[in-house]
Amino acid sequence: MIRKDTLLAWPMILFMVLFFLSPLLVLFGVSLREGENGWGLGNFAAFLSDPFARGVLTRTLMLGLQVTFWVSVLSLPLVMLYWHGGRRLRGFILICTLLPMLTSNVVRTFAWVVILGRNGPISQSLLALGLTERPFSLLFTETGLIMALVQIELPLLLLPVFSVLNRADRKTLEAAEVLGAGRWRAWFSAIFPQIVPAVLAGWVLVFASATTSYVTHTVIGGARLIFLPQFVYREVGVLFQWPMAAAISIMLLASTGIIMLGLTMLARHERLQGHG
Amino acid sequence: MANLSRRAFTLTALSALATPALIRPARAASGTVVAAAFPGSWEDAYRNIVAPASGVSVTVAPALAQDQIAKLMASPGRPPYDALLVSPGQTATLIEAGLIEKIDPSKLKNWDKLSPIAQNEWGPFVTIEVNGIAYNPEVVDKPAGYKTLFEDPQYDGQVAYIGFGSNTATMAWTEINKIYGGTYEDMGPVFDLIKSHLSRIGAIATSGSNQMTMYQQGEVAVFMASTGNVAKLRELGMPCDFAHPESGSPSVPVAIHLVKGAQDPDAVYAYMDAAISAAAQAQLAEAPTAMLPTNTDVPYSAVLSEYVTPEQVAAAVYPDWIAINKHRADWTNTFDRIVVGG
Repeated sequence: MIRKDTLLAWPMILFMVLFFLSPLLVLFGVSLREGENGWGLGNFAAFLSDPFARGVLTRTLMLGLQVTFWVSVLSLPLVMLYWHGGRRLRGFILICTLLPMLTSNVVRTFAWVVILGRNGPISQSLLALGLTERPFSLLFTETGLIMALVQIELPLLLLPVFSVLNRADRKTLEAAEVLGAGRWRAWFSAIFPQIVPAVLAGWVLVFASATTSYVTHTVIGGARLIFLPQFVYREVGVLFQWPMAAAISIMLLASTGIIMLGLTMLARHERLQGHG
Repeated sequence: MANLSRRAFTLTALSALATPALIRPARAASGTVVAAAFPGSWEDAYRNIVAPASGVSVTVAPALAQDQIAKLMASPGRPPYDALLVSPGQTATLIEAGLIEKIDPSKLKNWDKLSPIAQNEWGPFVTIEVNGIAYNPEVVDKPAGYKTLFEDPQYDGQVAYIGFGSNTATMAWTEINKIYGGTYEDMGPVFDLIKSHLSRIGAIATSGSNQMTMYQQGEVAVFMASTGNVAKLRELGMPCDFAHPESGSPSVPVAIHLVKGAQDPDAVYAYMDAAISAAAQAQLAEAPTAMLPTNTDVPYSAVLSEYVTPEQVAAAVYPDWIAINKHRADWTNTFDRIVVGG
């Protein structure tokens, strides 16, 4: 029996099964191919027994965590400003957050090529201020890559938080202050628990996007900073090793999935939800 | 709890399943060709010059040579392209994988006009890409050859390189290896050189286009390039010159192949014939593509003559792609480990 109130969800469920779950199963099947007719976990074993490949996996996950951290740090003042700002300021912040999303990720990445280059505004400003003796380039460096990814992923954290803040009950803040809590204590005990699920959802989005952003990794990071998406492309596009590429993709999916699962479980923790 | 009737569920499910049928198929009916071409100036030129001259409907799909193979391998029996544009390195892989067919030269009106070297049984060579060193004359002197780039300090921090995923880079690395005493079976000399020189390399890019972006931004002043790359940068107003390495310019023919299972082989022949026709090749020999003609009726254009002469083409070096393909995976692995770990 199918419940009538789930009717509207069925097209999406079928869509997901057809275009997400089925390809994922095919991908997993391909990852088990060994040689012409063999099957097994050899590709996974080969990947995990290679220190270089393990290093790439670790570096990819660390990149995701670093980007998530810096996005959170940069978001905090913007969130506070949004909370305390009037209608116009809120609108302005929202437009500034949404505006970059109207252009493609690729375009934003290439804009960062100009910004981070030795003739770009960062290098030239520091040179003009006398803080550096000669022009320098942040292209093909981890710092440059993190800077670009932080700017590109920032809206993924800000938008869910803004959405919750719009619905947050300001009276709880007043109540906390009436009960003697300082301004920061009141904010963190009354408002913060309300936005925690949105923050964690944003972290999941930022982390997933930062670890899989192939274009930004290759254009800003160059060939000396190899992350898993480049590894997958290399196996497919250069070496034509589809089973190994599939195995690496599954590893990427599983490792980011575990971190995202951890974040989701954290979001359900009752203390973070303000029930503790 | 309200229940859904079987009829309503069946209708919903069928509607969802029918959705793909509503999407217009990418491959149209006969009389049309889906032809792969390298992204950028090749793609533009083939779309604007060759496709209209073919008399059939041609969809030019941009894809790098390696990507064309990857996509063909991903859909066995249902090729996404009818015609490919690749170099001998990829041709060897395509033949081995049984993805292309030998052609019937009698179906090409312009076959006899091709120079003998371009009359390839697996598909005509449409040009020969001459590779060498692109440099910015406002920043560095003209390099005499590959060795200069590693031994003259003025090039420190100015040169961009790529790994073995790129044909241009692969040809350059194998030539450099030869200069330093290596062979296809022993690439040790070039890997030792990369390792020792790593801190003085300007950038290690991920692709040819990535490299050209770096050049445009003034990040590097030298990179391994084809004459076409230099012509493109000049067209964009960049100061850029081409240097033939003293050891010879690694050159590579570019061929159009007929994909096994192509929807309309006759249409592919019409497209091939247009690509080797004198009219199309005369236009392709002009800027920004400046392609070397393989049709003997087409003279070198003025712009092409700035980069290459028939004597230099005669002295060109043609790499052994069978040997390269045999080792390419190992070289790619070794290169990655050196540049990431260094």
